[in-house]
Amino acid sequence: MAALEIQNVKKTFGTVDVLKGIDLSISDGEFLILVGPSGCGKSTLMNTIAGLEDVTSGDISIGGNHVTGLAPKDRDIAMVFQSYALYPSMTVRGNISFALEIRKVPKAEREKEVERVADLLQIGHLLDRKPSQLSGGQRQRVAMGRALARHPKIYLFDEPLSNLDAKLRVEMRTEIKKLHQRLGTTIVYVTHDQIEAMTLADRIAVMKDGEVQQFGTPQQIYDDPANMFVAGFMGSPAMNFLRCEVEHTEQGYAVGVRTGGGDLHHLPLVHADSSLQSWIGKEVILGLRPEQITHVIPHKTDESHVARFSAKVEVAEPTGPDTLILIDLNGQEVDCRVNPTEEKPVGSLMEFMVDMSKAVLFNPETEARLL
Amino acid sequence: MPNTTASSSSMNRSVTLSRVVLYAILLIAVVFYLMPLVVMLLTSFKSMADIRGGNLVSIPQEFIIAAWDKAWSSACTGVECAGVAPFFWNSFQITVPAVLISTFLGALNGYVLTKWKFRGSDIFFGLMLFGCFIPFQVVILPMAQTLGWLGLANTTTGLVFVHIVYGMSFTTLFFRNFYVSVPTELVSAAKIDGAGFFTIFRRIILPISGPIFVVCIIWQFTQVWNDFLFGVVFSGGDTQPITVALNNLVNTSHGVKEYNVDMAAAMIAALPTLLVYVLAGKYFVRGLTAGSVKG
Repeated sequence: MAALEIQNVKKTFGTVDVLKGIDLSISDGEFLILVGPSGCGKSTLMNTIAGLEDVTSGDISIGGNHVTGLAPKDRDIAMVFQSYALYPSMTVRGNISFALEIRKVPKAEREKEVERVADLLQIGHLLDRKPSQLSGGQRQRVAMGRALARHPKIYLFDEPLSNLDAKLRVEMRTEIKKLHQRLGTTIVYVTHDQIEAMTLADRIAVMKDGEVQQFGTPQQIYDDPANMFVAGFMGSPAMNFLRCEVEHTEQGYAVGVRTGGGDLHHLPLVHADSSLQSWIGKEVILGLRPEQITHVIPHKTDESHVARFSAKVEVAEPTGPDTLILIDLNGQEVDCRVNPTEEKPVGSLMEFMVDMSKAVLFNPETEARLL
Repeated sequence: MPNTTASSSSMNRSVTLSRVVLYAILLIAVVFYLMPLVVMLLTSFKSMADIRGGNLVSIPQEFIIAAWDKAWSSACTGVECAGVAPFFWNSFQITVPAVLISTFLGALNGYVLTKWKFRGSDIFFGLMLFGCFIPFQVVILPMAQTLGWLGLANTTTGLVFVHIVYGMSFTTLFFRNFYVSVPTELVSAAKIDGAGFFTIFRRIILPISGPIFVVCIIWQFTQVWNDFLFGVVFSGGDTQPITVALNNLVNTSHGVKEYNVDMAAAMIAALPTLLVYVLAGKYFVRGLTAGSVKG
């Protein structure tokens, strides 16, 4: 049984189509992340799941019940807000037990539930404080505690970490992941941070302009992007997009790239089949992630999907574990990820190796995936 | 080095001079604003002989409270000679319900107009604001007609009704502007927690509305208590507010003009609003400037 099923949901504000027919389905216990740039409709979609906004057409079911027309309170959901939305006049205890109180849960049971949640999130010592007396991270915990105090069918998280500083954000991210593994709850989580999406999700829905661009596991989205938008949005530093021409050589299909010095190199397209025939001699966009262009690793160079070339180091950005090196291919800037010990000084020539096994091709007109 | 010392000391001198000028101007302003109050207070504690003998600001030769006593309980306000006391209580009977009801309705309006927006709610609010700019005089005739139809002419209830209607534009404006800065996510969270319209209002919104309630109550109390025109038009002989009684007392012209009694009566009429402001004034300024509720 699907924990959440969204069928052809559309939402229109005046003449603006915010959601243009969304279809998503996740099963019980899954962690779904809605990710996309601001204005892509992900928060609106979450609000329609919560019932805070009505859909224009389409159907939403939670745990097998059609909830499309229901009020938020009748949908059996809990939500964590970006601003936490803690009730300022109530103590932490009051905040956590408010929903239970409204639902007329007896006092003794409420107390027990507050204790359980406080233990789970380690906020026992904060129970009698007001939200204004808490730090950002503590407020975030209380906001989660408020959602956990009931046992709803699904939890909705609306950019819950975006108001925290970088270090705390990473800590809380791990904590949310642990919590999900421990409790096995179904979670829908909105974020614009692709790292959060990759690290937390069981399944990711990448959204843009009110449409789901791709719906899949994090690895599918990363390795096998449906189009140029998904490929460019997920991953940091972003995928390199390189305009180049398709050619047919003795070894099969390839694309030609010229280094800054003018030498032509053929990068083999190992997964290509005859469908690429019509593209020979035409320009396509090659998508290569920075980690696919590295320093030369000797035992790998013999493999058929690996190509080698030399290029001038334009800029070097050490990140610690890796150094990002900017080179020039076909007159375009390309990011490469190399081991710091192999790095050559800026301005000098360095030998690189390209792993083409995960290279992708896009149609330059439609930005759709070709290969 | 001597040069520096000289210039710094001359700078000190000019700073001191500008301070002196500043304080002098402030002092003049203080005297200007306080003078009427001082004259009223001094005169109200003088005997008539004292008033005739001295000047406006002279200190009473003997502090007597006879004028206050008379103003309160035995001065003539027209045919009646029972002082302003009965009218003082009339004013309370008008002001307290009018202030409480208009403030409460304003809070409810502000809550709806910001957190439960409906189609056209902004236009509705815009039209409601017109009420702030309609002069008293314009509504007198239609209001008299309405009160007649409702059977409330010349009653305290009628006057309370008028003040509620007239005050609601202001109270709605106050509360609406306050609630605009209260995050709507608070209401969304409470909706998801299962609370309804009134539960959210009572449990979430009202507890954080303290500052704006103070502002609104001070404003409305001052407006309603000090009102003369509605009072004189819409009240009957024994439901008149104190402002009307004060006018009658001062204008009753038989025998000698008793300035000390007039002044004492005027002070009595002004005391409640002064008291409200002194007690809650600091919250007034704080409430007007405080916008966001940091949660």
